[in-house]
Amino acid sequence: MAESMRKAVIAGSGAGASVTAMTLAEAGWHVVMLEKGPNYFTGLGKEWPPKTVFSNDNLKLTRNFEQPDPTAYPRTFRTSASQKSGYYVGPVNELPVTVGGGTIHYGAAMPRFWDIDFKQLSMLGPQPGADVADWPFEYSALSHLYDELEETIGIQGDMAAMPKDPVLKHAPRNKGYPMPPGPPQRASKLVSDGAKALGMHPYPFPHAINSQPYNGRPICNNCGFCDAYGCPTSARGSALDLLHRALLTGRVELRSETMVHKVEMKGRRATGLAWIDQHGRRGVERGDVVILAASGIESARLALMSGLPDPHDRIGKRLMFHYFTSGFGLFLDERLHAYKSWGAETHCLEDFADPDFIGAKAFAKLQGLPYIRGGLCELGGSEEVLAEAQFYQYILSAVLPEQPFGRTFKELMRTSLLRDRIAGIQMLGHDLPYLSNNVTLDPKVKDRHGFPVPRITYAPGKHETVAQEFYIPFITAVLKAAGATVSAAVPANTPLMGATASLPLTRHVLGGMQMGTDERTSVVDEWGRVHTTENVYVHDGGVFATAGANNPTLTIMAVVLRMARHLAGTASEG
Amino acid sequence: MNITRRRVLGTTALLPLAALVPDLLAESQAAAAASQKAGGSAYKFFSAHEAAVVDAATRRIAPGPEDDLLEIGHPGAHECDVVRYIDTLLAMFSFSTPKLFAGGPWSNRHTKGGPDHMKTFVKPDRAQAGAWRARVKELQKTYRAGVKSLDAHANGDFTKVSTIQQDLILAKSGVAPFTTVMFGHTIEGMYSNPEYGGNKGLAGWKEIGYPGDSQPRGYTAKEMAQIDVDIVDPTGIVSMLLGDFEKIAQTYASGVWRRG
Repeated sequence: MAESMRKAVIAGSGAGASVTAMTLAEAGWHVVMLEKGPNYFTGLGKEWPPKTVFSNDNLKLTRNFEQPDPTAYPRTFRTSASQKSGYYVGPVNELPVTVGGGTIHYGAAMPRFWDIDFKQLSMLGPQPGADVADWPFEYSALSHLYDELEETIGIQGDMAAMPKDPVLKHAPRNKGYPMPPGPPQRASKLVSDGAKALGMHPYPFPHAINSQPYNGRPICNNCGFCDAYGCPTSARGSALDLLHRALLTGRVELRSETMVHKVEMKGRRATGLAWIDQHGRRGVERGDVVILAASGIESARLALMSGLPDPHDRIGKRLMFHYFTSGFGLFLDERLHAYKSWGAETHCLEDFADPDFIGAKAFAKLQGLPYIRGGLCELGGSEEVLAEAQFYQYILSAVLPEQPFGRTFKELMRTSLLRDRIAGIQMLGHDLPYLSNNVTLDPKVKDRHGFPVPRITYAPGKHETVAQEFYIPFITAVLKAAGATVSAAVPANTPLMGATASLPLTRHVLGGMQMGTDERTSVVDEWGRVHTTENVYVHDGGVFATAGANNPTLTIMAVVLRMARHLAGTASEG
Repeated sequence: MNITRRRVLGTTALLPLAALVPDLLAESQAAAAASQKAGGSAYKFFSAHEAAVVDAATRRIAPGPEDDLLEIGHPGAHECDVVRYIDTLLAMFSFSTPKLFAGGPWSNRHTKGGPDHMKTFVKPDRAQAGAWRARVKELQKTYRAGVKSLDAHANGDFTKVSTIQQDLILAKSGVAPFTTVMFGHTIEGMYSNPEYGGNKGLAGWKEIGYPGDSQPRGYTAKEMAQIDVDIVDPTGIVSMLLGDFEKIAQTYASGVWRRG
């Protein structure tokens, strides 16, 4: 047990922050967590599960109940540093701003990363124009932490149904999942069967959603308001499982509606985190260590606003979002009711994440690349009712400009191509790290407190577009095999004529505070400590050296658990 | 687009559905009484005339049985009480807790006699409240000016011109941005949870075969697996969209149609 009564101050309360708070508090530390957003839970740390005000409410979602309001906390976006002004201002790939962070709205997909993600440079080689790097540790360093978190949070899945090649070959498991898979969503099942018919290897998508009562939380009743919504029944596992444990120690103070805006430094040591609350009151919370866990973009922004020493100009660099490809299979003979489900999609396919997928190497070579990787495909799912209607509104203005409303709109709503007849495929799309994809402070735009907002510069590189071109026909083929009348697959953020930019909407926010062994080419060490400081740590997805090809939350938590154990002095190894 | 026989909407036709249904009639009479007290308007933001104009306009955007013969049996904006929804939106800060975020974890639609938790709105934090105060203020101006503009294009009273003229006015380049705003709110008023003031009697959801909120009931495994055969009529607007499905998919994926 480490020396007790040490104190950590944490910016954030999401996936990474909750792991650290629990680990440190259970090791005897005092912890103060400062969360920018509101707390929508009553009784957290006292009653379990806590009461929530989340509900099956599509309008509340569109009014930014969970997301940062774009007027209060805007971001800016451009596709290249050569765009000096006139670029987009608004929401950019936002994660929720609430107690629990991204895990409050996530779809709760919890696959693991692969061995090659951690040793991408040494196992797969460099890529022209990209900054591919190895992580400071291998898959084997996380394997037992993945096991542990799957138990702690409660993940459903079926190890026996997972393909030996490529999934178990690249992400070997010591044991099965603590819960079996829930019932299949009709749309997911159709697409999964289509993939199987083509000789591919789909399987039940591991999720932090209860298929049976677990950890004091109820079984999921398949209401469908899952991805992008707070769970009304607490059937979804999340950062709350860890926050609750942290609070139970009595050594954790969680302050919501309190935004950290600066790391207070004295030489190489941080003395605390400066905050501002909703009423404009300011203060500094002092501690022995400070931990930035505000997510990929926000932690980098905080480091930049604090002027942390950055002699090699690495802070904010190598932002990764995944580069999604969307497939749409339209079923004209059946209503698929994808809204009846325990998750956005109940099945997935990892075959396209494999650089050795049939034909992928040859296609890459033809394009002058050493390899290409697509990514995990989420099978099934469809659109929600308000977005569906808004899309028809937009389409009618394009195809029937003389009267873009009226009965045709209602006919479209009744037919419901988009909501009730689409089975989707969402390919995550591994994106390589590039120094040119980054976060900087916007020179003009400020948030509601007057602090500079993050300016995001992001564009896909050659690898991403070549991989997408290669996999689009396979995605379409799976949808046809699934029985879709018509199908199409397209880049998930196609820039259209007249659009200011192609905004990423993936909610996978990685990099910016890269972990590495070399101070010249990374920001933090393997334990998350900023190289140029003695006690500033980064504990979120910002530290990822590569993006992987899977949903990142479980890996964020596993990486942070490894860091936090080390910090607490309770690590059993390394 | 062939225009079918449409009737001219008079101010007396403001609550025609209510006349057909006894309990709605009582409600409409109560509303009328309240309207007398409030100096002519049953609404919190709209004047009686503004409400009538927005009603007429949203009837064109999403016509119901009274507005389009081919929509018989299919409730539209009026039947969903879209005007009430928009008025509640524009007056959200006049309620003790702003009608911005309905509560949870569920309504009383699937409980027998339980409370409707969604009716208890959640207090926004200061960042949210500040942003929405500014947004609502802008929308109030948009509606005040928009109604005036509709009236001006109709020689004084939008509700008095024929529905054909109303359609032409709503599609005019000068008016179209306001029509777009009203269309967005018509969508919200028809397909959102009724606690926000629209989707009266769940007419919007029923019309499109969508169950809406399902908690605390949810769906069974059997309901999830259900094979629901229903063949689309592949003519009309559907055939137009299927004609270039890839283009439609690209437009969808671009996200340009999403509102911030």
